[in-house]
Amino acid sequence: MLSDVSTVTNKLTWAKAYPMLETPRTVRMQFVKVGDLQYISHLDLQRAFYRIIKRAGIPVWYTKGFNPHAKMTFSTPLSVGTQSVCECMDLRIERDVPCDVIRDRMNAELTDLLYINEVYIPEEKFSEIAYAEYTMHLTGAWAGEETAQRIQALLTTSPLVMTKKSKAGEKEIDIVPLIAELSVRYDVAGGQLVLNATLSAGADSFLNPEMLIGAIRKHLGLLAANPLEEYYDIMRTSLLRQDMTRFR
Amino acid sequence: MNQNISSILKAVSKPGRYCAGEYGQVIKDKDRVAARFAFCFPDTYEIGMSNLGVRILYGALNREEDIWCERVYTPWTDMQEQMRLHGIPLTACESGDELRAFDFVGFTLQYEMCYTNVLSMLSLAGIPLYARDRGEDMPLVIGGGPCAYNAEPIADFFDLFNIGEGEEMLPEIVRLYIRMKQEGRYSRAAFLHEAAATIEGVYVPSLYRVTYCEDGTIEAYTPIYDDVPKQVKKRIVKDMDKAYFPDKPVMPYIETVHDRVMLEVFRGCIRGCRFCQAGIIYRPVREKSASVLNDQAKCLFEATGYDEISLTSLSISDYTQLEELTDLLLSWTDDNMVSLSLPSLRVDSFTKELMDKIATVRSSSLTFAPEAGTQRLRDVINKNVCEEDLLRAVNVAFEAGKNSVKLYFMQGLPTETYEDLEGIATLAKHVIEAYYQCPKRNRGRQPQVTVSVSCFIPKPFTPFQWVAQDDMAMLEDKQRYLGEKITDRKIKYHHHDARVSRIEAVLARGDRRLSRALALACEEGFGFDAWDECFDYDRWISVMERSDLDPAFYANRTFGLDEVLPWDVIDCGVSKAFLRREYEKALKEMTTPSCRETCSGCGANRLGGERSCCPTCQQ
Repeated sequence: MLSDVSTVTNKLTWAKAYPMLETPRTVRMQFVKVGDLQYISHLDLQRAFYRIIKRAGIPVWYTKGFNPHAKMTFSTPLSVGTQSVCECMDLRIERDVPCDVIRDRMNAELTDLLYINEVYIPEEKFSEIAYAEYTMHLTGAWAGEETAQRIQALLTTSPLVMTKKSKAGEKEIDIVPLIAELSVRYDVAGGQLVLNATLSAGADSFLNPEMLIGAIRKHLGLLAANPLEEYYDIMRTSLLRQDMTRFR
Repeated sequence: MNQNISSILKAVSKPGRYCAGEYGQVIKDKDRVAARFAFCFPDTYEIGMSNLGVRILYGALNREEDIWCERVYTPWTDMQEQMRLHGIPLTACESGDELRAFDFVGFTLQYEMCYTNVLSMLSLAGIPLYARDRGEDMPLVIGGGPCAYNAEPIADFFDLFNIGEGEEMLPEIVRLYIRMKQEGRYSRAAFLHEAAATIEGVYVPSLYRVTYCEDGTIEAYTPIYDDVPKQVKKRIVKDMDKAYFPDKPVMPYIETVHDRVMLEVFRGCIRGCRFCQAGIIYRPVREKSASVLNDQAKCLFEATGYDEISLTSLSISDYTQLEELTDLLLSWTDDNMVSLSLPSLRVDSFTKELMDKIATVRSSSLTFAPEAGTQRLRDVINKNVCEEDLLRAVNVAFEAGKNSVKLYFMQGLPTETYEDLEGIATLAKHVIEAYYQCPKRNRGRQPQVTVSVSCFIPKPFTPFQWVAQDDMAMLEDKQRYLGEKITDRKIKYHHHDARVSRIEAVLARGDRRLSRALALACEEGFGFDAWDECFDYDRWISVMERSDLDPAFYANRTFGLDEVLPWDVIDCGVSKAFLRREYEKALKEMTTPSCRETCSGCGANRLGGERSCCPTCQQ
């Protein structure tokens, strides 16, 4: 059982080959979280990442103090039930390890449902994120050109008032101003509707894509029946700046 | 996961429970394995993923190239509702395949109150409950774990039980199955017969005829074939250093009950608390060497990334190489921000040196288990600790700046009087006083003592196996009495639900006739009975009454010393004569020294074992 101790031990010591940095360096991990893992909550994901970093042997910089901990910061949280190919996490490291090495070490500890696309030195802060792009697939017997048009009309006609639940309580908001772009088309081959949306994702104006599903359900009565016959999925595809360019 | 389950996950609580896809899960090609094994844990994912036994057996089976073992947990009630509503059967985590497609469906039986979950899982899987109703196309349903030592209440639902430690026995059972299939001589009946006759530790309940006396007690267990053992002897792993250890655990994404490395230091216990089943059935004591444990700990840290290593065993401070082990571990754990924890400390071994090494230092609370309130009663149960030990231990804690102590007790112990109960309140008061007398205490804080009291449940294979449990009125009166005696607001008092303990007592000492009540309970949708929010005492009493069973016969009756017990068909290594001697000594308030001080002749040493403290094992 312990035959592979030498290779395993390497997991703990490989980073020692790289020199210590004078000041900790922040690296950004851009990762993918898809499939079943859409149901893992943000909090659980943070906990999981903490362990993954440890078992990959990443030379993490720990806060100095009574209770040292790794400094990890995540971009816009992903709701349970939403997949993503563009999540970001910032981490501080204490050794001069190339970004690609970190990526490969991390991916050796990950699966095809959660993995790192790219590790890079961040160019801007998470507060620069203004929008997120999503692709949704809506499946049901009602899928067709006509439904596509009805959804398009619904989601682009202000006011479309929905109830937003937060810690502070419930609030009525018009979601249309928070939808920057929207297109719905019928995918004949797949027999489903494909909805592309660019939604506000700033800290104060975040719009959860589930709100769009909620509106479709409430006003058009779709996606409300047997979940085995009518269902949907949501994929976050990119994070954008205020000027609609790619966030980095 | 198939689309069906994915669709309904948006409608249930904690959907992460049903995801699987974890790092470390074992995926094999189902067309290229000879046997598929669904390892079922009859409780939630969070609890099942924390179980070390499951980790060991999952790894031990998957180590065999042609066996694929997958995991299954009980879906929570909301998920069960959705599954029944939409006709979705229970599936295994790894492949998403229905349980009916498996060769084996195995259950680990950790506590009696999970029996209803076993049945609801079979029912969700579309597998007939009774073994006799399952045809050749159905999986073999097998069980193991502590409750298998008296699995009679669920014996009719199982084809086979493993008695004892499974890491060697379970692969042997599956190998026999594969061999018989390949040789073309497999049938359920032939397999069960051959397994019972040739593999030690295999108990096939259908191969024993049970007869009853007129008074309802058991007359005899008679094997229906000559080559089936009259008594099934427990299996053990003899050398723990060489035992399989899971070096690549499945890593949960969601938070589980024990999110840490669990390092099994030794099996068995040198003590002999007379209420404790684990202390008897895991005998003889078998230790792992400190150097082996250190290598395994390193390996597990590297495979998991957990930042805490918990040294697990029944009574960790009894490990003979504890100091050596903690020193070895501390030589690398600190540098890697890993902390150590020791979950089961005895008050007589709790020292400042030990506390300085372990993580519990970080939390402000420590837990001890005096179990009873007076020395007299602690002697009856053979706890072998005294008030001075406890006060010394809490002083160590208070001097280190802690202000909160949790104390575990049991009520309803044999010979217990109201004075013994009052002793619990007095002991807690003494701990508070000790705080104020401790010069190095944390003066900025108030002391806090939490008294947590469970109900005594007579368990098979303990010296108290014959004892009647207090009846409900008595249990509840004693709880009320103790509540009145605790007046200090710095002492918090919690007690278990006596009604759950009573049903647990019925199932613990039950016989095969209880299967009627359990089948009825399953039909009426029982489940998660270990969870307060799901347990309903009156419904339990009702299903027993409608099955013509009297709960008092099992829970509140003193079993005769010469009576045939439902679990007499099992040989756990420790002799019935020893248990009886211990019972008689208890009534005389006489204690028995630990195995390390002197051998009391329990009989477990005939099972063998390396690095044991039994005289004849050490040869």
